[in-house]
Amino acid sequence: MTRHLIWVLIGGAILWAGFSADIGTDKLGSAAPRLGNFLARMFPPDWSVWPEILKGLLETLRIAILGTFFAVLLSAVLGVLAAEALFPGYIWRPVRSGLAIIRAIPLIVVAMLMVGSVGLGPLPGILAITFHATGMLAKFYAEAIDNVASGPVTALQSVGASRAQQLRWGIWPQMAPVILRDTMFRFELNLRESLVLGIVGAGGIGLYVQTYVRSFQYDKAAAVTVAIIVLVLLSEAISVKLQNKMK
Amino acid sequence: MNHAVALSGVSHAFADSIALRSIDLTVSEGVRIALLGPSGAGKSTLLALLDRRLSPKGGQAYILDKPLVQKEKTSRSDHADVGFIFQEFALLDRLSVYQNVMNGRLGRTKGWSSHWLSLRGRFDAQDHLIVARALADTGLSDLAHRRADQLSGGQRQRVAIARCLAQEPRLILADEPVSNLDPTRAADLLALITSRATQDKTTVIFSSHQPDLAQRFSDRVIGLRDGAILFDRPGSQVTASDVSQLYDGFPPETNLRVVGA
Repeated sequence: MTRHLIWVLIGGAILWAGFSADIGTDKLGSAAPRLGNFLARMFPPDWSVWPEILKGLLETLRIAILGTFFAVLLSAVLGVLAAEALFPGYIWRPVRSGLAIIRAIPLIVVAMLMVGSVGLGPLPGILAITFHATGMLAKFYAEAIDNVASGPVTALQSVGASRAQQLRWGIWPQMAPVILRDTMFRFELNLRESLVLGIVGAGGIGLYVQTYVRSFQYDKAAAVTVAIIVLVLLSEAISVKLQNKMK
Repeated sequence: MNHAVALSGVSHAFADSIALRSIDLTVSEGVRIALLGPSGAGKSTLLALLDRRLSPKGGQAYILDKPLVQKEKTSRSDHADVGFIFQEFALLDRLSVYQNVMNGRLGRTKGWSSHWLSLRGRFDAQDHLIVARALADTGLSDLAHRRADQLSGGQRQRVAIARCLAQEPRLILADEPVSNLDPTRAADLLALITSRATQDKTTVIFSSHQPDLAQRFSDRVIGLRDGAILFDRPGSQVTASDVSQLYDGFPPETNLRVVGA
């Protein structure tokens, strides 16, 4: 009975979305040739804009690097505060809730707010990435701390190791690979997500996508798109290689 | 007075159970003690207490002639004087065998500079010498640069022992150090641990489920049950009825045979 109801609800939702949106059958019909026309105007990609592409990609890379760097610094502090193993509930609980709220705000919204407050350029992009990435990274760091096995640390305590020595030789060896892996994962995400920052004026390659599409220079937009795809695939390949090396 | 351990009326309890009931025990330096008893008898609690990781709820305890105080107030050198071989080894998986054994030296760093250097992975020549000897004694020299998580169970056991030996403790405590090993290996390793008692007057206290091993490698066997000492006598005088009394009511697999009984 409930199963039927679920199917009816799903079907109803699709019909509602389809009929109320402005996508009549006539529009759908004419969309196909227009899409074809659009694609035809993208080819061949115009590579004469490669200096702009390079400039945009390098700026995006810089935004991702600095955004990750500052996110790591912030997460080192917030991650420790969010660790159940280190702090009482009245500290880690609110910190974790705060991080969850940060994670819930999409990057592009953060970026628009940052552009509004500090103006155009890479700076709002860096701030947006820092803010957004910290929400995830600090949570990961806290989990890395919480997952440290206590046995080996107790053993060092029993040996007579100082607090600093316990941290260096008991806790850090357990945490380091996890933290490194999480940070690299987040850097890769930052790079991908910062590609679109330029669309809202927060610096990087996204600006050129925006500019070329708006000015109907689809062949140039195509070149930028191809460059972005290459960058993403490249960063993914490097990330996978590094992660395999660090087991 | 040169007692490695002097307990009088020591008791300990956890939230839901009493672990030790008024234990009186003196152990002279250089003596080998085997703690025998079923699971839950209080062996592990007693050993953790002697390792200064628990404080007694009642009674008085002296370890190496120093009173047992709250663990927060225990000095690093007092910790370093007592070595502990953990049942589950407690190794750092991603570190090499060598560094795991070197960790046994951490409690011996003196002064700011050697402490600072230890954090950067730099240790004195003397420390390297002691580690090399501990590795040789445990037959691990060839595995020194292997990562700990790439070893077999028996090899990990030996790393745990080597770390304890490198610590150069005056009192060695071992919580069921050979419970996961076959009989021949178990005997070899117990021989290795207890040999320190005759060599340099190190006191050794180990717990075991196996009466035959307990008798063979100790000067005294202490039977623990329900947190109290049931008997305390030389291994040769431990009788079959002592053992059956100790394990009475426990599953038969823990009720192993007694040598010469």
